[in-house]
Amino acid sequence: MTHFNLNEDQQDCLQELINVAMGQASDQLARYLDTFVYLKVPSIEQVSSSQISDTLKVEESAAAVVSQGFFGYEGIRGEALLVYQPKDSDRLADLLGYEPDELSVEEQIIDLSSILTTTFLNVFASQIDNQMSYSAPRFLSSAASNFSDHIEQHTFNWDLALKVKITYQVTDYSFNCDMILLIPESAIVNITQVIDRILEEF
Amino acid sequence: MSFSVLVCDDSNLARKQVLRSLPESLSADAKIATNGVEALKILRGQSIDVLFLDLTMPEIDGLGVLQGIQKLGLSPKIFVISADIQPEMQNKVLELGAKAFIRKPVKAEVLNQHLQEHGLI
Repeated sequence: MTHFNLNEDQQDCLQELINVAMGQASDQLARYLDTFVYLKVPSIEQVSSSQISDTLKVEESAAAVVSQGFFGYEGIRGEALLVYQPKDSDRLADLLGYEPDELSVEEQIIDLSSILTTTFLNVFASQIDNQMSYSAPRFLSSAASNFSDHIEQHTFNWDLALKVKITYQVTDYSFNCDMILLIPESAIVNITQVIDRILEEF
Repeated sequence: MSFSVLVCDDSNLARKQVLRSLPESLSADAKIATNGVEALKILRGQSIDVLFLDLTMPEIDGLGVLQGIQKLGLSPKIFVISADIQPEMQNKVLELGAKAFIRKPVKAEVLNQHLQEHGLI
């Protein structure tokens, strides 16, 4: 299985970089919620622009999606989506345990998403000698059209993208959060060059 | 004295990182498993003294391997090498019999320090 002509070694290296990043993101999540997060092997696949909308249609039932753009050096960029299912967003409010009038559920979900996204991407970036900056996180409500429109706006000019999906499973509360990273082909080409440098050392 | 070594990780790069960090006495004849099923198969079939074990893997994950080893009544010296650094996970693997938890990406000096502590080098 190859992506963007990534060979098996490149794919393997990318997956290991993602592993290390998601390990630290889940550690932050676990500390923040004072619970344990179960991790599975992430899925990595290549999607075309039409498939981006299609594959994300599955997520339209989501109660909430928080979207945050990221930008590094050398053209590395993408869009991170944190997807919460309807039953989970109520649980999440319980879990976070803020006073009701202190912060809205929406603000809490944005906070949590930002912790996950920035931890993951900062660790990922440091491994490829890069540094990320971020756009402000945006909360997209359950209105499905809102979500699709947003994705199209932010990815419409991408012919191909790499889609990475990581599930953070908070076992004590049977609560799931999916992190979906969409990285355009141009950025993957740059990441591949760094991967080749890492592989050369081995 | 020589030890039989098994390195279990689904990532080829991660396996190489471990093997390169080991002294030659341990890496030279090391066996390899790419998931928990393969690891348990090897552990059932031959005597393994030292196991370097990843946690997040397809098929059977690292916790599954640790439980399998307990069920089989085996006692290799197990070093978990994982990116899943949550304190609860570190405690879990130690409770399940691992000698140490080592965070990824593995550093040779850290790994060797643990090996020294356990009399393997």
